[in-house]
Amino acid sequence: MALNVKVGLIGLLDMLKFANLAKKREQYIAASPAEEIKADYPINNLAKAMHPDYQPLVIDEIIDHAAAGAKTFVFKRADGQPACYFRAGQYISLKLPIGDSFVTRPYSISSSPKWALEGKLAVTIKTNPGGFAADWMLENLKVGDEIKGTEGLGSFYYEKHRDQKHVIALAGGSGITPFLSMAYAIRDGIEDFNLTILFGSRNEEVILFKDEFDAIMAQTDKVKVVHILSEEEKDGYEKGFITADLIKKYAGEDPYSIFICGPEAMYRFVAREVEKLGLERKYVRQEFLGATKTVWKQPEYPQACRDKVFKLTVKQGPNETVCDCSSNEPILVAIERAGIKAPSRCRSGECGWCRSRVISGDVFVPAETDGRRWADKQCTEIHPCASFALSDITIVVPGEYY
Amino acid sequence: MAAKYDVVVVGSGNAGLSAAVSCVVQGKKTLLIEKHNLPGGVASSFSRGRFEFDPSVHEICDVGAGDDLGHVGLIMEKNGIDVDWVTVPDCYRCISKYSDGTPMDVTIPAGREAYIDAIEKYVPGSREPLEKFFDLIYEIRLAKVYMFDGTPNDPKYMQKHFPNTLKTCGYDSLSVMKALKIPQKAIDIIGVYWPYLGVPLDEVNFFHFGNMIDMYVTRRAVVPHHTSHEITMTFMNRFYELGGEAWFNCRAEEFLFDGDKICGVRTSMGDVECDQVLANINPHIIYANMMPKELVPEREKKLYAARKNNLSTRFSMIYFALNKSCEELGLTDYCVFFAGTADSRKEYENLKSIDNDYNILISYNNIIPDASPEGTCVISFTKLFSDGKDWSEMTAEEYYKAKDKMIEKCIEDVKKNLNIDITPYIEEVEVATPMTFARYLGTPEGTPYGFEVKSWDGVIARMTDIEADFNIKGLRHIGAGSFFGDGYSSTWINGDMTAGLACADLEEGGK
Ligand SMILES: Cc1cc2nc3c(=O)[nH]c(=O)nc-3n(C[C@H](O)[C@H](O)[C@H](O)COP(=O)(O)OP(=O)(O)OC[C@H]3O[C@@H](n4cnc5c(N)ncnc54)[C@H](O)[C@@H]3O)c2cc1C
Ligand code: FES
Repeated sequence: MALNVKVGLIGLLDMLKFANLAKKREQYIAASPAEEIKADYPINNLAKAMHPDYQPLVIDEIIDHAAAGAKTFVFKRADGQPACYFRAGQYISLKLPIGDSFVTRPYSISSSPKWALEGKLAVTIKTNPGGFAADWMLENLKVGDEIKGTEGLGSFYYEKHRDQKHVIALAGGSGITPFLSMAYAIRDGIEDFNLTILFGSRNEEVILFKDEFDAIMAQTDKVKVVHILSEEEKDGYEKGFITADLIKKYAGEDPYSIFICGPEAMYRFVAREVEKLGLERKYVRQEFLGATKTVWKQPEYPQACRDKVFKLTVKQGPNETVCDCSSNEPILVAIERAGIKAPSRCRSGECGWCRSRVISGDVFVPAETDGRRWADKQCTEIHPCASFALSDITIVVPGEYY
Repeated sequence: MAAKYDVVVVGSGNAGLSAAVSCVVQGKKTLLIEKHNLPGGVASSFSRGRFEFDPSVHEICDVGAGDDLGHVGLIMEKNGIDVDWVTVPDCYRCISKYSDGTPMDVTIPAGREAYIDAIEKYVPGSREPLEKFFDLIYEIRLAKVYMFDGTPNDPKYMQKHFPNTLKTCGYDSLSVMKALKIPQKAIDIIGVYWPYLGVPLDEVNFFHFGNMIDMYVTRRAVVPHHTSHEITMTFMNRFYELGGEAWFNCRAEEFLFDGDKICGVRTSMGDVECDQVLANINPHIIYANMMPKELVPEREKKLYAARKNNLSTRFSMIYFALNKSCEELGLTDYCVFFAGTADSRKEYENLKSIDNDYNILISYNNIIPDASPEGTCVISFTKLFSDGKDWSEMTAEEYYKAKDKMIEKCIEDVKKNLNIDITPYIEEVEVATPMTFARYLGTPEGTPYGFEVKSWDGVIARMTDIEADFNIKGLRHIGAGSFFGDGYSSTWINGDMTAGLACADLEEGGK
């Protein structure tokens, strides 16, 4: 080859230099002192503190909102640490051993992020007759009980680079909880935006957090709450439902973002109203809804599979369990009923935490809660919290750290 | 105790995936365990609203196409991995300052000729030395294939066929490019890629750097069509197809020993017996936390001392989904580097601060039109830090403020450099920091890059004796902290090669 590159003075020495690279490296290592190997990095420690396997929580106080059929559980960290810091609007997933089952349930944090620094955290749980976990907690949990929970999760929070400075919150029932946290955060100077909450309740008596919001409004003019009563006409309250006209009435002149949180029925109603406002998609955000309770009403559901019980084989690490699986319930529920600790967080198909692999069998994944990654949709990875059995199934689920 | 495995691969990053597939291709009973609920490490994806983001990928090199497959392409072919690749047409645009302080704004295409033409246009007089440079890095390519094919190297053969490689390889990249008489401004342009290897040009070995330029420029880079998670799932599906078993949300807690040889892994799902372990875990973590102190070799304690302050680059990635197309916004390039200076040594020093000016903008839709829904685009910014200090002193509250600052910096960078205001179009925004990487990868200070390839610890020095750092029987390190350093391609190759060593040990042991 014509090319003849010379870096040093003498080509031959260069050749030796190359041959010696590994030897030189060994010499460099040999010349270093033998030290005890440590892996203690503040960055990793903060990451771990913000995202622990779970937060050990102990119930410090229970506030009964009897008329609203709800209770606020105020937790303290059982280990005396500060609670994981979070963005107002986020939820935590509680890990609950109930009977022979290990279930999780997501609850929006209803306290101020400021409390977290003092090791405190609150969620507010509304009764759900016929449900499983909510009423169990309302009836059984006492001050001093220990519960495990995650750190704050989800992206339902104010993001100043993305959202308008005026946020109009549309809330129904227990959907008010993330907005209480946001209102506290504004009051405490942690967040800086204007929050107008349109809050739908049946009547004045059952309104959640009326006093709390009145107190906040007395302290800051950035928070405003409008109560809308569906079953009662009363001075100082709007009557009816949250409509496009009502939103416009309280929107004022400035552009705004809309945040929605509430039960499915309310969500379906207001979604249509919000559409009339013609906002850009980025200015309308909603909290997760949970998986459907009526999968057979989903488009393209094979009706013949309704009300069936299939055989579910669950593999988790070296273990294998066989159990029944109702076609009407998400596969995750069957796994939990069988007493298996499987991971889950949002239970809405979106966060991917429950991601599992189907080895055999058919499943139905409702399109509206199909939050899977593109590549997962091409193979047999599913989110069992929002997937339903259409046949006997064998599934591999991840482990869970508690 | 669970069934006994030939090999347990701990960690499913790029190296782990490649190693795991390599083992099952060689017929070994293999278990892959991963502490996260998802395989891939950095080679993953995440969703926000109607968008799916790639957490890390810019450009992947050494894949090749057709009958000109690169090293990675050959491994993928051998192991039956077939990914839907998209070729990256241009290397980059770079807006910075030349070493002499004059402003730089260059757009550099890929392909040897086009690349040289472009640099000659910006820096007249570059052509001749650049032709030499490309001849040299082509020779290095051939030398690399010869040297790392797994058979012993014959010095005579090498002197005959790769004389210039041997003569330059003992040197740093800056010295060699100067010796080739490449004008400084052209060196500045070629050097734009330096952060992908983590250390400045006057430190990084020329073989390593030159080979990277060859792979990016001559052979062209590729990216996966549907995010890195697509690559990861291609590996996983192949692994399952050949009988591999994988446990997710399963943490390896401790390595189990029989005398001084590994015989298993204690995991959060129970103990697992095995003959060989391939650990996609930074060695510092293993020696500090995952095995009996008295079994840690003296030599590894010395290696630790030599390296402990040489963790490679830490990252912050800022992801935006915008509700306008790249075209509407005027984001015309796939990849734009914003740098304070093209002087890599100076910039390396600047990168120690969290407030540095360095940023890399990737606009995915320019080469993958369906990277996001019609009328929208996804872009990412990559900020680098050559020191973890500023991030180490943060409280949780300050942490959120630091994230905000990262977002603001990116918005400002596109405004200042490209005269584009993305603010009104932000539909989703997310920030990953060294803490985020620490959380998902578990590496020291979250570095995805392993250890700096310092002059004494360059990849060529490591690779001329690849078993040098494997001093515990039955345990080999794979990943960016292993011999081939950082990068998708390097870690895939590293995983495959190391799996070959483990499988050879099994054959010897009569398996
Ligand atoms: C992001 C988010 C935030 C939320 N925030 C709040 C909040 O702030 N406040 C609030 O009140 N609610 C909130 N919710 C709703 C809350 O998570 C629960 O859905 C609600 O409390 C009802 O729970 P439940 O268990 O009573 O009812 P369901 O979830 O309907 O419980 C019934 C389910 O349990 C199953 N089941 C029955 N028996 C068993 C068994 N033996 N083992 C296992 N499973 C069994 C049933 O098959 C059925 O699927 C939120 C939801 C989401 C998604
Ligand atoms: S728990 Fe979030 S997707 Fe299933």
